[in-house]
Amino acid sequence: MNRAVIIFSFFIFYFAHSPRSLASDIVWHGFGAQGIIQSSDSNFINDTGDASLRLTEVGLNTSYRINQKLRVSAQGMYINGGNRFDEGLRLDYLFLDYQLLNTQSWNVNAHLGRYKNYHWLYSATRDVPHTMPSIVLPQSSYFDAFRDVSLGSDGISLTAQHLNGLGEWDVRWSYGSSHIKYEQTENLMSQLATGELDHDFDTQFSVSFTPLGSGLSLGMSLLRTDFSYKPGDNDVFIKGKAKLGRVMLSLSYSAEYWDINAEAMREKTEFKGFFRDGRDADSISEGLYVQGRVFVHPDVTLLARFDTFDANRDDRNGTKFQQNSGDTIPAYFAYRDQLTLGASWDFSANWRVRAEYHKIAGRARLAPVFIPDTVINDSKYWDIWALQIIYWF
Amino acid sequence: MHNIHRIGYRFAFALVMLFCANLTYAEQPQVQVIVNNNVNVTTLSESSVRWIFSMRQTTWQDGSAIKVYVLSKQTPAHQHFCKNVLSMFPYQLERMWNKLAYSGLGEKPILVSDSQEMLNMISQEPGAIGYVFSTSLPPGAHAVRIVKEG
Repeated sequence: MNRAVIIFSFFIFYFAHSPRSLASDIVWHGFGAQGIIQSSDSNFINDTGDASLRLTEVGLNTSYRINQKLRVSAQGMYINGGNRFDEGLRLDYLFLDYQLLNTQSWNVNAHLGRYKNYHWLYSATRDVPHTMPSIVLPQSSYFDAFRDVSLGSDGISLTAQHLNGLGEWDVRWSYGSSHIKYEQTENLMSQLATGELDHDFDTQFSVSFTPLGSGLSLGMSLLRTDFSYKPGDNDVFIKGKAKLGRVMLSLSYSAEYWDINAEAMREKTEFKGFFRDGRDADSISEGLYVQGRVFVHPDVTLLARFDTFDANRDDRNGTKFQQNSGDTIPAYFAYRDQLTLGASWDFSANWRVRAEYHKIAGRARLAPVFIPDTVINDSKYWDIWALQIIYWF
Repeated sequence: MHNIHRIGYRFAFALVMLFCANLTYAEQPQVQVIVNNNVNVTTLSESSVRWIFSMRQTTWQDGSAIKVYVLSKQTPAHQHFCKNVLSMFPYQLERMWNKLAYSGLGEKPILVSDSQEMLNMISQEPGAIGYVFSTSLPPGAHAVRIVKEG
């Protein structure tokens, strides 16, 4: 019902307004996508394993230019991804954009408010389906259960772009925190967590470089973030703190009829408290995806991607992990190798339909992470297929 | 003997074909970058044009706003402009614009429906920049010479 009302309002809005400007200083854009998705042998989408229509994304954004240096940007959206994230309306970003410097070789801006994560290849428009290469993103870097925290924060962000004889440089820094809803805590920790998980702070820094006329872009990003947990009644978890640091490297190469995108990450997590049994959950996890696309026709794109993730680089096959759990959690929850094949077709201006299939070995990064569902996820191999139709303006 | 003649004819024919192909190439229409007459710019480097069309430079040197106009990605003029002036592919530019428009970082350029509308907008809007296949320009607009680098 909620979803129908939102989709309806979206179309009413679209037909009532021209896609471009109402006044010359206000610009509107939006998108809507509906899909069908199934992962019959896991709890990734739902607990039953049936095909599901819980694959909806609708958004509307505006940019209002107050003067040449000052602008306000905002995007509201509705998403439903089944078990992947909590369903509902959210304010994706709302910030004041102040242009500090704009010349033929520099562009420096400060954002104050709820800003987006501009540091990774796909983080800035993660929920905008037509800007993403696939329906389900590579989970090594774009972990769905962590989506809201890694999407952006409330705070300040600085972006600088520079053009010199070598090429184009992008440097970004951000500092902020985000609110973690109970549903997200549940998604991350399990239903047995009855307390409150707080995101204390998040700071990120990234640089990317595009050598002149090369089609190549290389990037590096750093993340440091802290979380704290206050237990609730009858909680299986205790008071604790978690520190997380991530280093990422990225590469993009764009040719006329194909492109390659890859990101590698290393993430270090340290816990104090959290677990009643005092277990040592500190780990360094590693992940990498390599994705190739071929533009076989101006309107048709084929995609192949390999994504791999190891929750602990000192225990890549999960043997120790299984032992430490007293054999209650199988070793395959410690790693994940995922092969994705997909195709998309722009059948009309601003309309796209796409389909994809994922074959997966291992079940790391499947929510809830701290206490995984070993009943539904009772085997090493599983798969996902999805079909989606997208409209944008 | 006959064979040699045949080979000779084929060779000559191939040469003529090659010449024609070269002619067609030479006669390919050229894209010109155009600005409104109030913009005091007559030359721009290739990377400056790319900097402007990727929406990173939003003001001219005198501090006035740059208004970027583009044709749809399906038009030959846009494809020609991307490949030969910007040294980019249309999909790369579109990816940049989408990131701006759907993450709040900036604004997309203004889309016009054809080259006539492009000429009208560039000649009427102060600060406007766009491109068309070589043609006679209306009084309000002038062409910018593009300096290739490297």
